[in-house]
Amino acid sequence: MTDPKKDDLDDLFADMRNLAVVPSDALMTRVLSDAATVQPQNVVRDRPRQDIWNRMLEAIGGWPSLGGLAAATVAGIWVGVAPPTSVQDITAFLIGDQESLELIPTEVLLVAGDFVDG
Amino acid sequence: MAAFANGDQQAARILTQRLLPRVLAQATRMLANPTEAEDVAQDAMMRLWKIAPAWRQDEAQVSTWLYRVVANLCTDRLRKRRGGLSLDQVAEPMDSAPSVAANMQTQTRMKALSDALAQLPERQAQAVALRHLEGLSNPDIAQIMDISVRSVESLTARGKRALADLMAGRKAELGYDDD
Repeated sequence: MTDPKKDDLDDLFADMRNLAVVPSDALMTRVLSDAATVQPQNVVRDRPRQDIWNRMLEAIGGWPSLGGLAAATVAGIWVGVAPPTSVQDITAFLIGDQESLELIPTEVLLVAGDFVDG
Repeated sequence: MAAFANGDQQAARILTQRLLPRVLAQATRMLANPTEAEDVAQDAMMRLWKIAPAWRQDEAQVSTWLYRVVANLCTDRLRKRRGGLSLDQVAEPMDSAPSVAANMQTQTRMKALSDALAQLPERQAQAVALRHLEGLSNPDIAQIMDISVRSVESLTARGKRALADLMAGRKAELGYDDD
């Protein structure tokens, strides 16, 4: 058995659900205006975190600087291993020629003979 | 939401076009007053703009959140109305507008229903409105109101009974005797 009170109410509910509601242009404008007043501007995104190697690389100026550093290192080693004549001349001029000094004369060693264990 | 929070102005327009019609419809059905409904809709959207930078959920939950906000804002308005109106007062019809139902009798009944909602306890009014005016399922309402489905069933049953009783006292005035 149906309840007439609830039938009327259900009909009214249905009418209200079918109600067509369209926002006016004025309301749209007000809402968009509100949005503009609170919307964050010029948001700077967080830079992605870098690992320690990338941060060190960035500290010395990036890959170009690392290339220059590597070239300088190789050149330094090469100069150390096979110094050009001009470098030797400059070195001799600055710190003098290479000289050797015998702490124990060769003759003494010959007299002493070979070192033997025991 | 993320685009809006990142300063994308087009995002505000897209969100407004997508969400405002439903927000306004919900407020209109609960309040049966276009001016009040527009104020509630604007207020709800403003709250959305303000919360956008902190939003960490997907858009499906934006609508859930908005249902809750609009329901709360409407019951705030109904509470104020409850103090100033009695059901013996004749409900004034809503302003006629192309977007609103043309039938004056239906409008009068809608206003009467809104005034009757104002007489209910707020949680009952919200549950009844979400169930019968928005046509939402009980699980959806439970999520919106953050209560159990069983509580929703209880609130809607009691609320609907109370509404039927309140409206029954105005049958002649609302033209139901002529139906």
